[in-house]
Amino acid sequence: MSKPVIVRVFDVVGGPVCVSAEDGQRVHEKIAPLLREGQNVVVSFEQVETLISLFLNAAIGQLYGEFTEARIRKLLAVRDLSAEDVEVLKRVVKNAKAYFKSPKKFDKAWKEEVGDEE
Amino acid sequence: MIYYLPTIYSDQRGYECLAELAKATAQLRADRLELDFSQVGFFDANMAAPLGGVLARAANRLNVVEVVNVPELIERVLRKNGFLTHYRYPEWDGPSRTTLPFLRLQRSDEGLFEEYLQRHLRGKGIPKMSEGLGRVFKAKIYEVFQNAVIHSQSKLGIFVCGQFFPQKQRLDLTISDAGIGIRENVRRFLKVKISSVGAIRWALQEGHTTKKGKQPGGLGLKFLHDFVRLNKGRIQIASRFGFYEFHGNKESYAKMATDYPGTAVTIEVNTADTSAYRLASEISHEDIF
Repeated sequence: MSKPVIVRVFDVVGGPVCVSAEDGQRVHEKIAPLLREGQNVVVSFEQVETLISLFLNAAIGQLYGEFTEARIRKLLAVRDLSAEDVEVLKRVVKNAKAYFKSPKKFDKAWKEEVGDEE
Repeated sequence: MIYYLPTIYSDQRGYECLAELAKATAQLRADRLELDFSQVGFFDANMAAPLGGVLARAANRLNVVEVVNVPELIERVLRKNGFLTHYRYPEWDGPSRTTLPFLRLQRSDEGLFEEYLQRHLRGKGIPKMSEGLGRVFKAKIYEVFQNAVIHSQSKLGIFVCGQFFPQKQRLDLTISDAGIGIRENVRRFLKVKISSVGAIRWALQEGHTTKKGKQPGGLGLKFLHDFVRLNKGRIQIASRFGFYEFHGNKESYAKMATDYPGTAVTIEVNTADTSAYRLASEISHEDIF
């Protein structure tokens, strides 16, 4: 197995606040090409202070739109995440798998018609 | 025109009163709005955020907005948090350790918002909040802020205001916008004329998002909800004709009498809380993907 490439989120974003989709996209653009090449990647969250689902959806969640779960599991790892943030990431991953597996079907339960004045 | 504002609490009626102000002033152009506070018996400080949004709409139609006859105690609160200085009142120069000031910022001002949180959530202003809780709370505030940035289409910006209650060990923070409301976003996405209450209900479901494209979404409000449940705090969402509240493990949805133009989310955090915010079953770093 090749030596993993470390993607330091703090360095890619340029700070400890990881709260925007744009910054998440920049991290994604570091990770995705490496996974395409079959490279092992470790995403380090060292020095990251604020992390939200919007950022993680862009950085990691959207990987499930391109790569299989098996490939991601084999090649991708994370480190330096607090227990709270591990849980956030786990739910982002679960949500991403569901999102790409079956794009949301229209739910008839929401089909109600009202006027603008309701 | 002269408009007499009634008492404003942070509750459904409070938003209905602000919606009535918005409705009454909707046709006012290049005129003068005198907002008279003489009938205001109480004003919840965090409600300066949605009031700021409603007044910004009026000012944007080239009206001169003046706030007059503010009772002394209320003036004290609204000068301390900086709201009244937007309406030509002198700045408060005494201590204001319990306020999270009124701030109006543009959707692109993420840096300013970070500065605001750094300055006002940490340190002596909120002495009871543990570092762990402060960190998680900050993340949830960002989830709300980014929702406003991405979805509101609020050209007049985002309005933030809060208040810390040391005796009650509670901190209220409201983030509001002057945008299209949750209803409009969900209607465009589902292509159905859903009600405001129905749209809030839809948006609170895990995985529901109106974002399209390669990035999944729909977790922000769910995370906020889970946090508040564990923290024994409170959430209020007012958006167009819809009002939602979650408190003490009970949630309620209600239709408001008048159209509140935008969305406001209030988070009340229990600052005495020392819980760790993770599931009982620990997830290891190896068990994520």
